[in-house]
Amino acid sequence: MAPRVGIVGIGHTRFGNSSEYDLADVLAYAATDALLDAGFLEHRKEIDQVFVANMASGLFCHQSAVASSMVSRLDMEPVPAELVENGPASGASAVKLGTMAILSGMADVVLVVGGEIMRKVSGWNATDIVSTMLDTETEYNMGLTLPGFGGMFTRMYMEKYGLTERDLALLAVKNHDNGAKNKYAHIQATCTVEAIADGPEADVVNNYIAEPLRMYSTCPVSDGAAALLLVNMDSPKAKLFAKKAVRIAGVASATDTHCVHNRADPLQLNAVRIAGEKAYKMAGLKPSDINFAELHDAFSILELAISEEVGFFERGKSFLAARKGETAITGRMPINTSGGLKSKGHPVGGTGVSQVVELVRQLRGEAEEGRQVKDPKYGMSVNFGGFGNNVVAVICAKD
Amino acid sequence: MIDFSMYDVKAPEILGYTCDKCGTSYYPAPMICRKCGARRDPVTKRNWTTFEMGGPCTLLTWTRVWNLPEGYNKKFLQFGIVQFENGLRASGRVEVDEPKTGLKLTASVEESDERPGKPVKIFVFQ
Repeated sequence: MAPRVGIVGIGHTRFGNSSEYDLADVLAYAATDALLDAGFLEHRKEIDQVFVANMASGLFCHQSAVASSMVSRLDMEPVPAELVENGPASGASAVKLGTMAILSGMADVVLVVGGEIMRKVSGWNATDIVSTMLDTETEYNMGLTLPGFGGMFTRMYMEKYGLTERDLALLAVKNHDNGAKNKYAHIQATCTVEAIADGPEADVVNNYIAEPLRMYSTCPVSDGAAALLLVNMDSPKAKLFAKKAVRIAGVASATDTHCVHNRADPLQLNAVRIAGEKAYKMAGLKPSDINFAELHDAFSILELAISEEVGFFERGKSFLAARKGETAITGRMPINTSGGLKSKGHPVGGTGVSQVVELVRQLRGEAEEGRQVKDPKYGMSVNFGGFGNNVVAVICAKD
Repeated sequence: MIDFSMYDVKAPEILGYTCDKCGTSYYPAPMICRKCGARRDPVTKRNWTTFEMGGPCTLLTWTRVWNLPEGYNKKFLQFGIVQFENGLRASGRVEVDEPKTGLKLTASVEESDERPGKPVKIFVFQ
């Protein structure tokens, strides 16, 4: 019988502007927090494997070999360490590989750390670097960017289902409400629908980024890191940790065409749907079992589209549920309780790990007052790589 | 005599690929034909036929991007996804004043040197 994999330690830096600092320090700080949380700092050389998730340190920081650098910063040699790169889904890919390492029997304790320093370069340059994940000849060379695809996807969804820009503004209000209460969030400030949609200055406050997407429907450029300590819950080592494990019930990933234009229906995010289905199957759960979710809202439209693909809502109906408050903290399916990428921020290589940290905080009952979901049992995260071409879903359980 | 001032100026082109074995067309070219499994040799292009992409197309979706990446000194650029008459699709620049989904356009290929490095070929939909 396969061992159970659990999370016994979490760490997280505050997302924001850490551009004055070294990437290895930021990663190592989050890792140290996770080790302290697990009561395992003094035993760190007994860890079997380290996975460091990072998307583009070579481009953002002119720095490579960050896994080696971080392990050395933590005085953990000779623990094996490798880098995991899967674009903005690098973090959840590292969680998946850590889980696989334990399931394979090759490891009992795995440290997973994900992070990015994006703000060492200008916004102009960062937009270019992030765009390198697109298909080179058919997308990147045209001048296209990720917000560009977000805009085109949003327009298709609006024209098919009747979504409005105001609906997207309502998501921003909800996520900023949550993020304002999250000590790790990049933007800890609320916003109102009057300011960003209904009021006379809304066009200025909430300007277009990639029409019809506006600034408040687009995540910020963030620095930061998050970390998890994974353990084989059926190993004798499981008794060494300070906190009860939150179990990784399901983890799965899937791919879709790299070129968005080659999808038969560009509104269908097949990789999200398949990753979700596989994660549900592994966990023995169905969408209605999930109590809350962290969904990759790099653009607000993705919160809606992903929530439909993983079965929380019918296709084209998620924004109607959001209008009724069903995805708020007190709703029937709270989404992005952390503030999501919109408010918590999106250091690309770290986001997938950060999402799972939020699942653990909620399942432990450790989220801040006002954004703690009432007694959740199962949480799900979806980490979206590229424009949906490489997606990882994780389901965590409180046993 | 050789006259170095004489040389052909090749019009920029973007190529689509057709598998000779089953006739399926692609953009961009796959390594293996999805329909019949024929392998493509990127060097000799043997057993695959190339053709110039362009001509009449229909706009499927579009956006106007205001935060452009490094290299672009314009206030905004418009992008879209189009479908050609042969069913292939492509992403590129939309250069009409009032884009609208479903608009009939014509695709041409231009060379862009906006970004640092070698110039690249881009689709322009007008």
